[in-house]
Amino acid sequence: MKYLSICSISFLNLIFISMTCFVLSLNFMLNNMVYFIEWEVVSLNSMSIVMTFLFDWMSLLFMSFVLMISSLVIYYSKEYMSSDVNINRFIMLVLMFVLSMMLLIISPNMISILLGWDGLGLVSYCLVIYFQNVKSYNAGMLTALSNRIGDVALLLAIAWMLNYGSWNYIFYLEVMQNEFEMMIIGSLVMLAAMTKSAQIPFSSWLPAAMAAPTPVSALVHSSTLVTAGVYLLIRFNILLENSWLGQLLLLLSGLTMFMAGLGANFEFDLKKIIALSTLSQLGLMMSILSMGFYKLAMFHLLTHALFKALLFMCAGAIIHNMNNSQDIRLMGGLSIHMPLTSACFNVSNLALCGMPFLAGFYSKDMILEVVMISNVNMFSFFLYFFSTGLTVCYSFRLVYYTMTGDLNCSSLNMLNDEGWIMLRGMMGLLIMSIIGGSTLNWLIFPIPYMICLPLYMKLLTLFVCISGGLFGYVISLMKLYTLNKSLMLYNTTSFLGSMWFMPFMSTYGIIFYPLNLGQIVSKSFDQGWSEYFGGQHLYNKLMTYSQTLFLMHNNNLKIYLLLFVFWILILFNFLLFL
Amino acid sequence: MFNNSSKILFITMMIIGTLITVTSNSWLGAWMGLEINLLSFIPLMSDNNNFKSTEASLKYFLTQALASTVLLFAVILLMLKNNLNSEINESFISMIMLSTLLLKSGAAPFHFWFPNLMEGLTWMNALMLMTWQKIAPLMLISYLNLKNLLMISVILSVIVGAIGGLNQTSLRKLMAFSSINHLGWMLSALTISESIWMIYFLFYSFLSFVLTFMFNIFKLFHLNQLFSWFLQNKILKFTLFMNFLSLGGLPPFLGFLPKWIVIQQLTFCNQYFQLMILLMSTLITLFFYLRICYSAFMLNYSENNWAMNSHINNFNMNLYTIMTFLSIFGLFLISLFYFMF
Repeated sequence: MKYLSICSISFLNLIFISMTCFVLSLNFMLNNMVYFIEWEVVSLNSMSIVMTFLFDWMSLLFMSFVLMISSLVIYYSKEYMSSDVNINRFIMLVLMFVLSMMLLIISPNMISILLGWDGLGLVSYCLVIYFQNVKSYNAGMLTALSNRIGDVALLLAIAWMLNYGSWNYIFYLEVMQNEFEMMIIGSLVMLAAMTKSAQIPFSSWLPAAMAAPTPVSALVHSSTLVTAGVYLLIRFNILLENSWLGQLLLLLSGLTMFMAGLGANFEFDLKKIIALSTLSQLGLMMSILSMGFYKLAMFHLLTHALFKALLFMCAGAIIHNMNNSQDIRLMGGLSIHMPLTSACFNVSNLALCGMPFLAGFYSKDMILEVVMISNVNMFSFFLYFFSTGLTVCYSFRLVYYTMTGDLNCSSLNMLNDEGWIMLRGMMGLLIMSIIGGSTLNWLIFPIPYMICLPLYMKLLTLFVCISGGLFGYVISLMKLYTLNKSLMLYNTTSFLGSMWFMPFMSTYGIIFYPLNLGQIVSKSFDQGWSEYFGGQHLYNKLMTYSQTLFLMHNNNLKIYLLLFVFWILILFNFLLFL
Repeated sequence: MFNNSSKILFITMMIIGTLITVTSNSWLGAWMGLEINLLSFIPLMSDNNNFKSTEASLKYFLTQALASTVLLFAVILLMLKNNLNSEINESFISMIMLSTLLLKSGAAPFHFWFPNLMEGLTWMNALMLMTWQKIAPLMLISYLNLKNLLMISVILSVIVGAIGGLNQTSLRKLMAFSSINHLGWMLSALTISESIWMIYFLFYSFLSFVLTFMFNIFKLFHLNQLFSWFLQNKILKFTLFMNFLSLGGLPPFLGFLPKWIVIQQLTFCNQYFQLMILLMSTLITLFFYLRICYSAFMLNYSENNWAMNSHINNFNMNLYTIMTFLSIFGLFLISLFYFMF
C-alpha cells in the first residue's frame, strides 16, 4: 500500500503558491501597486494592536522565492530523509518555518512581525535539534539563545514604539528619522537583525547550526532565516542612511564578510564551509544595505538564496553518498563518480564566485561596482574586495578537494548519482541559478544603474577573482613532500580558522564565570549551608527529639501515675501554705 | 461488637455518662457522669481473646480512676471551702481539677498513658477514645477559668503530638499522637469560645472517623500495610491519603476549616505566640503525613509482590465515597453554601 507522501503534497501546494506570488509580484511591479491590509486585534488605551499585511512587489517576490526554494527542498527531502522515522514531523516543522517566514515577510508592523520572528526562532531551534544528540542540542541552544538577544531587542523596540501611538513603523520612519527615540528603535532593530543574520558579535551560531539536517540547512540557514535580518533592515533602511547606525553596520558587516571568507579557507567540514560562505555573503548584503542601496541588497539576497540552496542540496547529496561523512579530505574525484551532482555543485559554486552570466554575477558585480563609485574609505574598500577574492579562493579549494584527484574515503565505497528525486529537486534550482540573476536584474532594475569607471577599476573585480582562484588552487595543492603551510603558523591558523575565537567567546566566554559562580553558590549554599542549617538540620533535630520522647514513653505506667500524684501534692502544698 | 447485647448496653451507658457530665450543674454530678462513663467504657475495651486489650483496659481504668479520685478530692475540698455550686476562684484547687481533667483527656504533660493504651485497642474503640471520651473532660475544662496552665498544656500537646508522630510506624500510635496534637488545638479553641471548640471537635471527629473507618475495614495497623493493601485500587489509596492530609489540615481540604477558624480567632485575641507554636507543630505533622503519602502521590513507587486483594462491601464503599468527598471538597462546599444562603 503506497500512500501519497506528505512531501509530494507539500511540494505541489508550495510551488503553486510560489507561482501565484510570482505572477502577483510582476503585476504589482508593473502597476507600481501596494496593498495594505490591516486587522485590528485589540484596542487598549488608545493603542491598537493590529495585524498588518503589506503586499508590494518586494514582499511578494521574496515570498515566491522562499516558497519555491522550500517546495524544492521538501521535494528533495523525500529522498534525503526517506529512512527517517519522523519524516512527517520534519516536513511539518519545515512548513511551520515557511509559515513563520511568510508572516515575517508581509508584516510591516512591529507586533505582527514579532509573530513571524519568534516563530522563526522557535522552529529553527526545533530543526537544529532534530537529530537528537548532544552536539545538535548544544548547537540548538547556541542558535536559540543568540536569536533570543534579537527577540529581546525587538521587544524593547516595541516598547519604545509606544511613544508614537502605533506600531506600524513604515509610517514613522521617514518623518521621525532624526528623533532620538527613533534612533534608539533603529539601533535595537539593527541589533535584532544582526543576531538573525549572524553578524559579527553573534556569528558563532550559524556554523554551529549546521547540525541540522542538510535540507534544513539549504532552506533555513542559507536562503531564508538568515536573510530575515537583512529583510528587516531593508524595511528599516531609511534609518541607516546618513547616521552612525549605517557606519557601524558597514564596519561590522564588512568584518563579518572578511572573517567568514578567511575562516572558510581553513575549514574541512563541507557544510561548515558553505555555512561560512553564507555568512560572508550575508556580510556583503548587510554592508551594501548599510550604504543605502537596499534594492541591491534585496537583489543579492534573492540570487544568493537560489544558488546557495542549490549548493547545500548538492552538498547534501554528496554527504548522503559518502555515508554521512562531511569531511572534504575524504572526498575527491566526485566529478567522475557523481557527474550530475558535481555539475550542479560547480554551477552553484561559480555563481557564488560571480562567474559572468550566472546568478551571482549580476548582483555581486553590481554591488562591487557601486561600491567603487561610492564614497567609501580604504578599509571598507579593502574588505569588500579582499573578501570577494577569498570567496573564489575557498570555492576553488573546495572544488579541488572534492572534485579532483581520487576518492580518499575507504577503499570499498559505493557512490552513485542516481538519487533521482534529489537530483530533480536540484535541477529546478540549477535552472534558477543560471537564469535567476539576469531575470531579476531586468525585473528589479528597469532603469540601469549608471556606473562610470576607468578600465583598471572595472577590471579590478575580475583580477581579484582570478587571483583568488589561483590562490585557492595553489594553497591547497598537495604533494607527498609538501610542507604543511598551516602548521608553520599554528597560532594564526587556529585564530583565523575558528572564526576569530567567536564560538568560544559567545559560549564559554559568556557562561564561564556565571556558571562557576552558580556552582559555588549551589555547592556552598543550596547543598551546603542552607541545607545544613535548613532542612537537614531541622529534620535531624526533630528526629532526635522524637527519639528522646520515645525514651520517656517507654516507662512503666506507675511512674506516670506517681508523677501525677507528686504534681497534685505540690499543688496541694501550695494550696495549704499560701 | 454490635451483635453483642451487653455491649449495646455499655455503649448506651457510656453515652449517658457523658451526657450526665455535660448537663450536670454540680461538680459531684459531673464526677458521677465521668465514673459511669469510665465503668461502661472498660468492658467495651476488653476482649477475652486479646490480652493486649485487657492490659489496655486495665491501664485505662487505673489512670482514669486516679484522675477521678483526685477530682473528687478537689471537688470535696472546694465544697469544704465554699458552697458546692459557687464560682471557682481558688486557683490552686482549680489547678488540681484542671490537672485531673487534662489527665482524663490525655493532654500533653499527662498524656503518657494515651499512645500506649491506643496500641491495644481495636479501631472502633480507638475512635471512641479519641473522640467521644474527650467530650466530658473538655466540657468540664471549659468551666474552669484558668488560662496559664491551659496554655502550657496547649503548647506541650501540639509539640508532643507533632514530634511523637515523626518516628512512628504504628498507625494507632500515629493517630494517638495526631489526637494529642488536635487536642492542643481544641484546648486553645476552648480558651476563646465554646462554639469554636465544638466546631473543631466535630470536624476532627468526622475526619478521624473517615480514616479509622477505612483502617477498621481493612484491618490496617501499621504503615507498611498501607503500601501493600491498596495496590489493586489506586484511587482508594489516593483518596485515603487525601483524607490523611485533610486530617493534617492542608488548606484545600476540609481539615483546614476548623484550623482556619481557630487561627483567625487567636489572631483577634492577640495570641500570636501560642498561634505560632500551633502552626509550626502542624507543619511538622503535615510533614510526616506527606512523607507517608509519597507512595500514593508519586508517579513511581515500589510495589510489593505479596499484595493481597482487599474487599469492601458496597454500602461501606458508598459511605466512604461520600465522606471522602466531603473531606476533600468540604471547604469549597461550605463556601458555596455561604453564597447560597
